Amino acid sequence: MKILVITEHRQGKWNNASFETIAAAQQIAGATSGTVSTTVLGKGIGAFADELAGKAVAEVLAVENELLADYTPDGYCIALKQVIESAKPDLVLFPHTYQVRDFAPKLAAMLGKGMIGDCVGYRNEGGKLIFVRQMFQGKTVADVSFLGTGPWFASFQAGAFRADLVQAHASGKAPVNAVSVQLTAAQIRTKPLDLFKEAKSAVDLTQAPLIVAIGRGIKAPENIPQAEAVAKAMGAEIAASRPICDEGWLPMERQIGSSGQTVAPKLYLALGISGAIQHVVGMKGARTIVAINKDQNAPIFEIADYGVVGDIFEIMPALTEALQKAKS
Amino acid sequence: MTVQREQLEADVLIVGAGPAGLACALHLANLIKAHNASGAKPELSPENTYVLEKGRELGAHQLSGAIMNPKALAELVPDFEKSAPLDTPVTDSAALFFTQNNSFRIPITPPPFVNTGNYVVSLSKLVKWLGEKVEAAGVNIFKEFGGAQLIYERDGIGGVITEDKGIDKNGKPKDNFQPGYELKAKVTVLAEGTRGSLTKELVAKKKFDNINPQSYGIGIKELWDVQPGKIQPGYVAHTLGWPVPPSMYGGGWIYGLSNNRVSIGLVIALEYTDPRFDPHATFQKWKTNPFVKNLLEGGKLVRYGAKSLPYGGWYAMPRNYFDGGLIVGDSGSFLDSQRLKGIHLAMKSGMLAAETTFEALKSGDTSAKMLSAYQTKIEQSYIKKELWKVRNFHQGFSHGQFRGFINTAFQQISGGRGLIDPMPAHAGHEAYKKSDGQPAAPRFAGDGKLTFDRLTDVYHSGTRHEEDQPCHLHVADLNICATKCVEEYRNPCQYFCPAAVYEMVKDGAGQKLKINFANCVHCKTCDIADPYQIINWVVPEGGGGPNYEGM
Repeated sequence: MKILVITEHRQGKWNNASFETIAAAQQIAGATSGTVSTTVLGKGIGAFADELAGKAVAEVLAVENELLADYTPDGYCIALKQVIESAKPDLVLFPHTYQVRDFAPKLAAMLGKGMIGDCVGYRNEGGKLIFVRQMFQGKTVADVSFLGTGPWFASFQAGAFRADLVQAHASGKAPVNAVSVQLTAAQIRTKPLDLFKEAKSAVDLTQAPLIVAIGRGIKAPENIPQAEAVAKAMGAEIAASRPICDEGWLPMERQIGSSGQTVAPKLYLALGISGAIQHVVGMKGARTIVAINKDQNAPIFEIADYGVVGDIFEIMPALTEALQKAKS
Repeated sequence: MTVQREQLEADVLIVGAGPAGLACALHLANLIKAHNASGAKPELSPENTYVLEKGRELGAHQLSGAIMNPKALAELVPDFEKSAPLDTPVTDSAALFFTQNNSFRIPITPPPFVNTGNYVVSLSKLVKWLGEKVEAAGVNIFKEFGGAQLIYERDGIGGVITEDKGIDKNGKPKDNFQPGYELKAKVTVLAEGTRGSLTKELVAKKKFDNINPQSYGIGIKELWDVQPGKIQPGYVAHTLGWPVPPSMYGGGWIYGLSNNRVSIGLVIALEYTDPRFDPHATFQKWKTNPFVKNLLEGGKLVRYGAKSLPYGGWYAMPRNYFDGGLIVGDSGSFLDSQRLKGIHLAMKSGMLAAETTFEALKSGDTSAKMLSAYQTKIEQSYIKKELWKVRNFHQGFSHGQFRGFINTAFQQISGGRGLIDPMPAHAGHEAYKKSDGQPAAPRFAGDGKLTFDRLTDVYHSGTRHEEDQPCHLHVADLNICATKCVEEYRNPCQYFCPAAVYEMVKDGAGQKLKINFANCVHCKTCDIADPYQIINWVVPEGGGGPNYEGM
């Protein structure tokens, strides 16, 4: 059986799952008396190809192309289709990465072949290759095999095979064969922008020493700037009870309570928050709790150190003004 | 969005890991084991039985009083007394009559309230224990997977599709999107419990209803740790009277468990006339009767929950067999409406379903004709015997307690026949009287020690749902809520929901319905009691819902 492994790298670094997949391919080849080839795509990939050549593989297919400098699903699919058509593998293996999830099914479909994704193992049953994949969140596994003719496509879950078990080449180096592919800029329909890391959370309320939190008493999103003014004057972060975030008036990351964050600031100013237990569990550890609510029976007053029974719409502007005055 | 679903094929698929579903699974596994050991053909495998459970853990969605008649369990697990978490045998059965400030023990406890020989149990614990036995027998239980859609085949069903995971609140797939599995089975056993969402759809679509519509009650429960010496383990009391008005059907319970733990609750039939009646507030008021108040004084609320229960009995039992499937437990109306006992009947129905399924698997025929043996088995078992005696009981109370007790008297002396047989029933939501225009009374707030508002209680149910998912309470037409219902019934959903899910909020000059679905304790009351029948409860993402550990 002829196996082709598609490797993955980004910004000059390997995705280590590539080597796990090479290890898997070597084991399958061993069980089926087959051969393993690897392929690497991109621009300026000489060093990558050379490193692959040091492994126990029949050959390394290096696809050097300006248009493959950045990953695009179109570029990868068009290039790999040609590689597969010329190399004629029986089995194409991928590491199950986000990138592979993006293009591999498309590639398999372009060739009219099936794909078994996210496998955790394989078995060789009398020459028939069975792939094992998890189901029901890992509670059980299913055996899956291919119908029809190759090339077959499969990807392995990260961690399913050990990268340190990749066998080195017995006699030095495998040949690196350059493969040129027909690819034009017009065929690529997406344009990669700069890589970025998604900010985890714009705010970390758990670190905020002062928090101004608003509840249903704020009534409408138009009124939130009044509370934000109080927070700004105090140098505090703004937070909210669940209904406010439910309505989308403030982002979810500013929600305090059992389904949001748990905080313990020095000062917690609760504006128009009734104090349902779901909210209280998220802030009862605050050192000083000040509550303003027009309902004197609101449960928030049971845990407040200072309570004001009053209308937040009268108090918020006055408080902002007083805070600003005190500062200046 | 069309999705490609992974398919799995099972011999038997059981939807719901409650007493009925698990009894079915265990009995079937035992039958298969004995069959294979005898060398008979065809060989069967218990591993080809799958059980789906929408809760995070086994028992997470199990709520009952609970007093259990152990007879079905004794058949299923003959040495159950050695390892089952039975908590405590009933030592004293009292019937109490409540007024606001007093309570009286009825000198001779009426027979339906006598529980000698039964056990006070935590159904959640019992189900967890039973589930472990089922897993040890080789059956696959898939927790956090709910049955979301039926696969229709022949004149019945061929399996179910589990719920899609990782969908955001706008219905778009998230990073962790995973389409539901298409689970095909030779026999699918619907064991969804009270008001099962798939069962409801199937029964309506195939017109499997019986002569009476199903009647329901809602049970609201709190578990308390009380001061030592307040109650004996095994003391069980049922209360009649205040604060349930004589025009309504309902009553309270007080069950003493071991370690100074007490189960208290109130059951109300969901067929009252006042659309603003609030079952949760009524339960809270009930706790202020001096008998209960004294019991709970110095104690602590441990857990809260609510669940509906099917009262309809024999004449409301849907057709429970069809091509490729069976219905068991509460979904199939296996509950004694007089004694409000269903655990043993649910388990027995599951066992009879297992026997029927076993025969069908051996013969290779899973048609309705073959599976109709289930009905015969039910009729020949104590299920029919027990349900037949009380076949008209609950209907007798549709005009209040006074007429109810007269009807009961006639039924008692005539083997259940009574004055009219079969006595008809009406769907409970038809009983609402239109609003009289009076302003609403203020909502019950609770004192935070003995009595609680709904949000506080919901907190104690341990309910959790993934927040970024579509609302699992489908309202067919929100305009009706904002216009017609405001006018006619003043939105009873705000009052009957024991988890503060439904809320009417200001919307310009008018109002609109806000659904706090993350609070939902899966009691199904809204699906049952909404006056226009436009609320459809569907399974949320698996794992969501209450945590009824110990309930």
